[in-house]
Amino acid sequence: MLKRIKNLVGTVCLALSCLAVVPNSAFAHGEKALEPFIRMRTIQWYDVQFSQDKLAVNSEVAITGKFHVAEDWPSSVPKPDMAYLNVSTPGPVFIRTERYLNGQPWVSSAALKPGGDYDFKIVLKGRLPGRYHIHPFFNLHDAGAVMGPGHWVEVTGDAAAFSNTVKTLGGATIDMESVGFANGVSWHGLWIVLGTAWLLWWVRRPLFLPRYKMLQSGREQELITPLDKTIAKGILVVVPLFVFGAYALAESQYPNNIPLQTALDQIDPLPPVVNTSLVQIKVTRTEYHIAGRSMNMVAQIHNLSDQPVQIGEFTTANLRFINPAAGLPAKDQGDTMVAAKGLTVDDAQPIQPGETRTVRIAAADALWETEKLEGLFRDADSRMGGLLFLYDAGGKRYIASVSTAVIPKFD
Amino acid sequence: MATTPFFDIPAQPYTGEKARLSRAYDYLILVLALFLFIGAFHLHMALTVGDWDFWLDWKDRQWWPLLTPLMAITFPAAVQAVLWTHFRLPLGATLCMACLLIGTWITRVFAYHYWNYFPINMVLPATLMPSALVLDAILMLSNSLTVTSIFGGMSFALLFYPSNWPIFAMFHMPVEYGNAQLTLADVFGFQYIRAGSPEYLRIIERGTLRTYGQYATPLSAFCSALLCTLMYPLWWHLGKWFATIRYVKAI
Repeated sequence: MLKRIKNLVGTVCLALSCLAVVPNSAFAHGEKALEPFIRMRTIQWYDVQFSQDKLAVNSEVAITGKFHVAEDWPSSVPKPDMAYLNVSTPGPVFIRTERYLNGQPWVSSAALKPGGDYDFKIVLKGRLPGRYHIHPFFNLHDAGAVMGPGHWVEVTGDAAAFSNTVKTLGGATIDMESVGFANGVSWHGLWIVLGTAWLLWWVRRPLFLPRYKMLQSGREQELITPLDKTIAKGILVVVPLFVFGAYALAESQYPNNIPLQTALDQIDPLPPVVNTSLVQIKVTRTEYHIAGRSMNMVAQIHNLSDQPVQIGEFTTANLRFINPAAGLPAKDQGDTMVAAKGLTVDDAQPIQPGETRTVRIAAADALWETEKLEGLFRDADSRMGGLLFLYDAGGKRYIASVSTAVIPKFD
Repeated sequence: MATTPFFDIPAQPYTGEKARLSRAYDYLILVLALFLFIGAFHLHMALTVGDWDFWLDWKDRQWWPLLTPLMAITFPAAVQAVLWTHFRLPLGATLCMACLLIGTWITRVFAYHYWNYFPINMVLPATLMPSALVLDAILMLSNSLTVTSIFGGMSFALLFYPSNWPIFAMFHMPVEYGNAQLTLADVFGFQYIRAGSPEYLRIIERGTLRTYGQYATPLSAFCSALLCTLMYPLWWHLGKWFATIRYVKAI
């Protein structure tokens, strides 16, 4: 007996200790599960910033950034004719108060154009205290979610202090946290009381066995009494009258009600930011060295600008490989997805104006493996894509969206 | 054969210990039925009506009044088939709706509000209690599957939207938001983040069921009424088939 009690106590303690180590909030959103070619060749995110890491309830954090819609959009992924810029959070711990695409307010979905450049801004307001890992991401119709870079944000303060009001076109100020709740509960309560009364009217009598026996013995008429019939007739008259009366009352209370809205937003891309033709890049061959976790590209670069340029960064699927030789200021906000010395170029000399040069670029880091991108060559579509960033001496940036087939190297 | 004047309960075939045991059996069945219908009917509605009942910004004037009664008349028809055919108990539909509401409110409060942080007003469920009361009353007064299918099925669907409009009308007030006209319900959908449910997934105002002079709801409601007249007898027979008394030799 004592042993049983000990086992029971031990099991309970084990269960409680398991509960204690369960994290409070989700910090992975399935982004690694998405096929590499989709992450690399659909939405190419860059310059994503979070305005702050810590905010109080009712304060706001802005997520800003840019993305390029890859020209080499995978044939197996539906074109982005309906796309919704969302935020991956563990439920509405924030509310989204504003969202802009190319400076235009944006509340519904919109079509994105392959090859188009966009910048975005999402404003979130802290609702529930906690520390959350959040991402901007795109819901692409029939294709799924393509995550942008994630970031930890902490909300402090008292959840009860949260307020969210909206003004209607009629001029009423609405508290979104409570509007309609008491009214809804009242109507539900009323109908539940009436329904329960009907149920109790029948349940108060002997039910199954006696009624079955009476029915079988031909006493069916006794089972439904004249009073039952009167009540049922009353229901047939009173319930529809009451329902349509309440409907008319609601209509008169809210005469300017409108149907739910479904229109898509129409937003044009920005003037070209990526592939502007001042610096033209063509990647002619790419090999992935599995053992070295290195993506090696051969690229032909034609500099048509009036300044020497050098390669500073390669980014794909939210991984950033920085060329330390370019001497760029760090802008990674402590992001673990940045390989600060991950990019090397075989010829470190800047490419002169008018010069065409073939260079070998290596993006090497364990991130290829930890982010599950090294399995690219096992996909049915084993082409890679990404953005190459080049800079001139004055810090001006030239961006190229590149893509090629990938040849794996197993040795 | 004496009867109580007001409560009007007919003389019973069992007395004494038999009556007591029979009543205990009633309660046993009722409790089991309660849990069974809470679970099964709630699951059925979550799988078939789903988002239309979960979210304010899915409760549109076209698909919501079409699908909800059509999917909700199923269990009431089946349960009525059992309770009316064998026991002359006209409470199948009301019992189902009461169970559905219990299950739905538990889920909305604990799963949607406390677990997933949605404000409870964003996930208010719809009610079908008026439709159920009328369906039970029509079955009782007509004692006819045909009459109940036609008039009960139609009433069930036609009462749905006006029953719920007093709850949801206020969420259709127009708001200027993000340089667009939205309903208050649309604003809920935009503000309270649902990572897995982008706005474009909503099936509202789509397809060939167009408006007539900008009135969509009456068309949907009558379409649903027609379909409910067919769905009702289908599920009645399903209920009858499942509740066979082939193995009951004697009571």
